[in-house]
Amino acid sequence: MVEKMKNPQRRSFLTKIWIGLGLVALAEFISGGISFFVSGRKGTGQDSKSHIIEAGNLSDFLPGSVTFIHAGNCYLSRLDDGGMLAISRKCTHLGCAVPWIEERNQFECPCHASIFDSHGSVLKSPAPRALDLYPINFEQKSIMIDIGHPIRRPGFSADQLAYPQELG
Amino acid sequence: MNRNFFFHIRPRKISTKALRFTLTYGLGGAAALMIFLQFLTGLLLNFFYEPFPVQAYLSVQHIQTELLFGQLIRNLHHWTGHFLVVTICLHLLRVFFGAAYFSPRRRTWYSGLLLLLLVLAANFTGYLLPWDQLAFWAVTIASSMLAYIPLAGELLQRLVLGGTEVTEATLSIFHSFHTTVLPFAFLLCMFYHFWRVRKAGGVKIEKSNKEEMLPVVPELLVRELSFAAVVTCFLLLFAMFVDAPLTAMANPALTPETVKAPWYFLWLQELLLHMHPVLALCVLPLAFGLFLLFLPFWGREAEKPSRMPQLIFTSFFLVIIALTSTGIWFRGAGMRLVLPW
Repeated sequence: MVEKMKNPQRRSFLTKIWIGLGLVALAEFISGGISFFVSGRKGTGQDSKSHIIEAGNLSDFLPGSVTFIHAGNCYLSRLDDGGMLAISRKCTHLGCAVPWIEERNQFECPCHASIFDSHGSVLKSPAPRALDLYPINFEQKSIMIDIGHPIRRPGFSADQLAYPQELG
Repeated sequence: MNRNFFFHIRPRKISTKALRFTLTYGLGGAAALMIFLQFLTGLLLNFFYEPFPVQAYLSVQHIQTELLFGQLIRNLHHWTGHFLVVTICLHLLRVFFGAAYFSPRRRTWYSGLLLLLLVLAANFTGYLLPWDQLAFWAVTIASSMLAYIPLAGELLQRLVLGGTEVTEATLSIFHSFHTTVLPFAFLLCMFYHFWRVRKAGGVKIEKSNKEEMLPVVPELLVRELSFAAVVTCFLLLFAMFVDAPLTAMANPALTPETVKAPWYFLWLQELLLHMHPVLALCVLPLAFGLFLLFLPFWGREAEKPSRMPQLIFTSFFLVIIALTSTGIWFRGAGMRLVLPW
């Protein structure tokens, strides 16, 4: 430039404003991008109804039995005293599907040989914690399982059991 | 104009020492060639692949059985991906033991590490695409390892899978990364890598006063092209005789007898069986990563890396190789130790 700068402070001030505006625009684009991704994922909406599935009637589940609930991809374990647990079948070690082995009365993971009892507690590692639970609700005689909200737990405790109000 | 472009990544003349095959074993060149082949075969496969559950499996079957050379092209893409991981690791070893990571090659080293991560990411995202039992459960296991990372683990897993389990959302995410994001990242990163090699004055050689210089065209060019032909032949022959695996269609309700993460992540899965998850999946890999990043500042430009870094690097690498081979060959159903024969 041949001419001397007339007002250097004013010029650098304007430059700073441009940089600031540029950063604001960048932040807007980034947050726009993020919200685009977040909004597109199925199942993040408020519609929680679809997560509640009907497992069946109370009379279908005998005390001391473990039944696979196909609609919920989980197990309904009814203990000898009538208490119920809805147990996830995702192994807490690395996420394999755990089958219930009727003969030995336990869950045995095919991937790394973790074993869980009918309460879902760990009998043999490498699984670090008991199988996740799902909340159970009783509506008249049918059993509803909320598979949208798995509950993590270190092990089994009696307050995890759900009891139907009227037996029979 | 073609020549001008070529000389952006190549000098006009090159020292006879730099032409010696055992200096590089052609590993970087082989890796670049393999990435180029992956672009070609991937481009072809993508015309017929459908990234949705069930259709994905059926379209891969269609490619293999109905299309002319379909099986060959899928085999080539599959096996080149695996060989690429091996080649790029060998390249890393050669560069390390030649101590070719000090400034001015520091940024070449860093972009090379980034390329290694990209290769792993491309392999892993590609692993899911056939949507068979092998793919589904390997990705389930490998992504479950993410959840063990303290604080951010669960969020990270949710982001990668698009949920808590492998679903159609996962397939769509993996497909986008595999066919759009990663190829683009590869292009940028590779050009940067090659440009840094050129800026550093080519491959690392002993400096001496009187060097015999030869013209790059044809001396280097002919050597590179013939080596590329040999590598391509090897890959083609391998792909002709060994089919890429395709097991039964993915079934989220049934875990097969033997489930393993992809082989390049097996050392992590093995570590997880032997020690605390945070140590296995966070502290150790992070420590090794930081060690690799810190290397260019440890010691001075020399023929070989100094003793301490060499010791750390070698022991890490041997442990990884031992764990990986245990995972591949000595683990049977339920991850019990078995003999491979």
